[in-house]
Amino acid sequence: MMRSVLAAAALALVPSMGLAQTGDMDRGETIYVKRCLQCHGEDGDGLGPAAERLNPPPRDFTLGLYKYVTSGFDADMPNDADLIRMIRDGMPGTAMPGWSDMLSQQDILDVVSYIKYFAEIEGEPETQTDFGTQVASSEESIAAGKLLFEDNDRCTECHGIEGKGNAIKKLKDDNGDRTWPRNLTKPWAFRASNDPRDIFARISVGIPTTQMPSFADPASKKSLSIEDRWHVANYVASLAKTEKVVNPDNFVVQGTRAEGALPGSPDDETWAAVPHSTFMMIPQIVGQDRFFTAANDTVTVRALYDTERVAIHLEWDDRTHSIPGDAKAASIADEELYEDAIAIQFPRQIPEGMEKPYFLMGNAADPVNLWRWSSGTADAPETARIIDAAGIGSQTARDDSGDFQATGSYRDGTWRVVMTRALETANTETDLQFEQGRFVPIGFFAWDGSNGETGTAHSMTTWYWLQLKPAASSKPLIYAVLAGLLVLALLAWWGGTAAARARRST
Amino acid sequence: MRLPRLLQAALVLVGVYLGFIVVFDYMLEAVIPGSLLTMYMFFVTVGVFMVFTYDEERTRELVAPIKAMVENPIYRGARNTVFIVIPLLVGYGVYSRTLPSFEAPVELRTIHPAPPSTAKIYGERVNLLTLENPFRHYQTDDPEIFAEYVQEGAAVYIENCQYCHGDKLDGKGPYAEGLNPTPLNFQDIGTIAQLQESYLYWRIATGGPGLPKEAAPWISSMPVWQEFLTEEEIWKVILFLYDYTGHAPRSWGEAHDAGGH
Ligand code: HEC
Ligand code: HEC
Ligand code: HEC
Repeated sequence: MMRSVLAAAALALVPSMGLAQTGDMDRGETIYVKRCLQCHGEDGDGLGPAAERLNPPPRDFTLGLYKYVTSGFDADMPNDADLIRMIRDGMPGTAMPGWSDMLSQQDILDVVSYIKYFAEIEGEPETQTDFGTQVASSEESIAAGKLLFEDNDRCTECHGIEGKGNAIKKLKDDNGDRTWPRNLTKPWAFRASNDPRDIFARISVGIPTTQMPSFADPASKKSLSIEDRWHVANYVASLAKTEKVVNPDNFVVQGTRAEGALPGSPDDETWAAVPHSTFMMIPQIVGQDRFFTAANDTVTVRALYDTERVAIHLEWDDRTHSIPGDAKAASIADEELYEDAIAIQFPRQIPEGMEKPYFLMGNAADPVNLWRWSSGTADAPETARIIDAAGIGSQTARDDSGDFQATGSYRDGTWRVVMTRALETANTETDLQFEQGRFVPIGFFAWDGSNGETGTAHSMTTWYWLQLKPAASSKPLIYAVLAGLLVLALLAWWGGTAAARARRST
Repeated sequence: MRLPRLLQAALVLVGVYLGFIVVFDYMLEAVIPGSLLTMYMFFVTVGVFMVFTYDEERTRELVAPIKAMVENPIYRGARNTVFIVIPLLVGYGVYSRTLPSFEAPVELRTIHPAPPSTAKIYGERVNLLTLENPFRHYQTDDPEIFAEYVQEGAAVYIENCQYCHGDKLDGKGPYAEGLNPTPLNFQDIGTIAQLQESYLYWRIATGGPGLPKEAAPWISSMPVWQEFLTEEEIWKVILFLYDYTGHAPRSWGEAHDAGGH
């Protein structure tokens, strides 16, 4: 009651404004209880029922600290506009959805005034971020930004030389939760977009409650002028790795006929020219012992083949090189350290109809082949095994994986692995036999060993397709010419007889 | 003036073709696969042909322009053009057909298959035809307790379901894009608003693998919730699904009125 009186009083003070600038806290509370409480908690402390399973966890509003703000780096509160924007647009890469389709502008204002109340935020921030004049992106600006990014280990200290956020040290936020510097090559995981203006705001203010610092703060040894911050923002925006953008309409890996020998090394340059498909990976939250916080989120796949063998190239960003037994790797890992690993899933036979094995590692009635590579430990080399899986808990590695081979290479936050096998094997009952042109179901599983991922804790995809595209041949052309000629002959015959009949009848 | 019958037939075919494209590509926003469109158009063509050759007079009218073109020397120029163009078209058709296809096979699955009359859930055979939500009656009997159960259902949902079906129950959870088929949108009037609570209970308890063959159980990522939740939790999450979306479950009475579903 008290609150709505306050709100009404505030409204009465600004009668001249056509648009209500203040929200109605009571309305805000109703909206909060229905839409937000499940995650942010009854008391706004972020301890909703799913807090444990969400990474990052829902924000605790009682502290009044917000991450994505444009008020000054030394201000102690956000602008309403910052909160409105995050609520309206949501935060990609987290469970926080955008609400613009469900809440009106007024609803959002109401709920903002309610969540501010948890930390008793009142009034306006004392300082604002100075955006100066935006420097348009250009080659020069990007080059200048790159220097500043690397200079003095300014950003590379946490985000790595390629900006992939691969672990260099262990970072914790104010709450003691593990945080990871963002992978700057995957802009779709930015919470507040990779528009240079947003990046500028982040560099200027930092990300409060996390270790991402302000570079506008003159007290910082690494601080940057407004112009320099625009250069860095332009550079960061240019890092977007477009081949790793998931195209949700693509379900096919296009296997290409190799021109020369199949490249056996994952770093071989020929791979760059092979068509790629990137698929989203999601945590294994379907089968037994669900795992909610898997680290790997995409896999980029390429395939080549020749008359004998098929080679599949897998590339994924993994912020840690997990080497069990290695002291440095152990210091970065959260829990016990396991090997990094990846597996390709195939059915045992190319399905004749629609029916495929169950997408999550098959079942007893219809088992699958897993081609699994794991990265090795400090004492043991990498391994490549064929596994027969009949359900997620039921895997048997073969003693003899035939001529299956796999090898990987880790560099600057990215794993690249090549797996090869003969197109045809002697075990026609238990091994997939490849055929040109046919669509073969294919799926993927990945394990980040520094994130506690082993056994049933992993990321995964549902079924996609692999097609070994047949090499170009002259057959279609020959058939086309034959068909055309045949039809022409028929037509000529028809025309001839018709004309003859017409002549006869006159 | 009446249009020549041949032109009429051609217009009908073009109209239907564009209709398919508009309905699928623009209204349903699901680009129609080439092979499916070909199949549909084949049947439409057969149908149109049957209508237009229904009796002898109509047939004659239909073929008259063709006959004239072939037989009448006045139209020789037109005839020669047509006789060249048709083989070229056929040749091109055959060429593009025999080129290897890179279009993924179409997987048609029934989204809402008919439920079995009984199903094995939590190790017991339950009769889905008579099954009711044990908490539903509180909605009228004791709204306060009911609201508590809905809240408990909400907690079950946020802990287990939002990753796929979305916090807003719109089928757009953070992982939805990585799943094929995509998780269903409960806000849509075509899903839970059309279903009975017992149907949802069966679907939630037995998940993707519990589906019959026509619904392609092997590709659905919907988990088998009887492995993770209790019976009561499933009934409560069902209360929440209807409460949040504002839909009402379909009742047995309605199902009968509509002649079953
Ligand atoms: C499914 C869970 C979920 C729901 C429902 C949800 N949020 Fe969030 N929200 C989150 C998570 C997770 C974060 C933290 C992301 C991070 O720290 O990067 C967050 C962060 C926020 C932030 C902080 C933004 C910033 O800049 O720091 C605001 C404000 C917010 N939520 C408001 C709301 C409002 C208002 C609602 C209801 C209309 C809501 N949330 C519903 C999960 C949720
Ligand atoms: C001390 C470590 C550290 C340094 C130095 C650092 N960052 Fe960050 N950065 C982080 C962390 C941690 C996050 C993720 C915070 C979170 O959301 O949990 C982050 C997130 C980001 C984001 C993501 C914003 C979004 O919308 O999601 C951008 C962009 C970024 N940093 C750019 C930079 C730039 C540019 C520099 C150098 C000028 C820099 N960072 C220096 C730790 C750092
Ligand atoms: C891993 C992703 C995932 C999770 C988690 C998930 N679902 Fe689903 N669900 C799906 C998919 C995909 C479908 C559509 C395919 C199908 O019908 O099986 C679906 C379908 C459904 C349907 C059928 C709706 C209809 O109209 O026939 C219901 C009901 C349902 N889910 C309820 C739930 C509930 C309740 C939960 C949480 C306890 C949940 N789901 C968790 C993926 C998921």
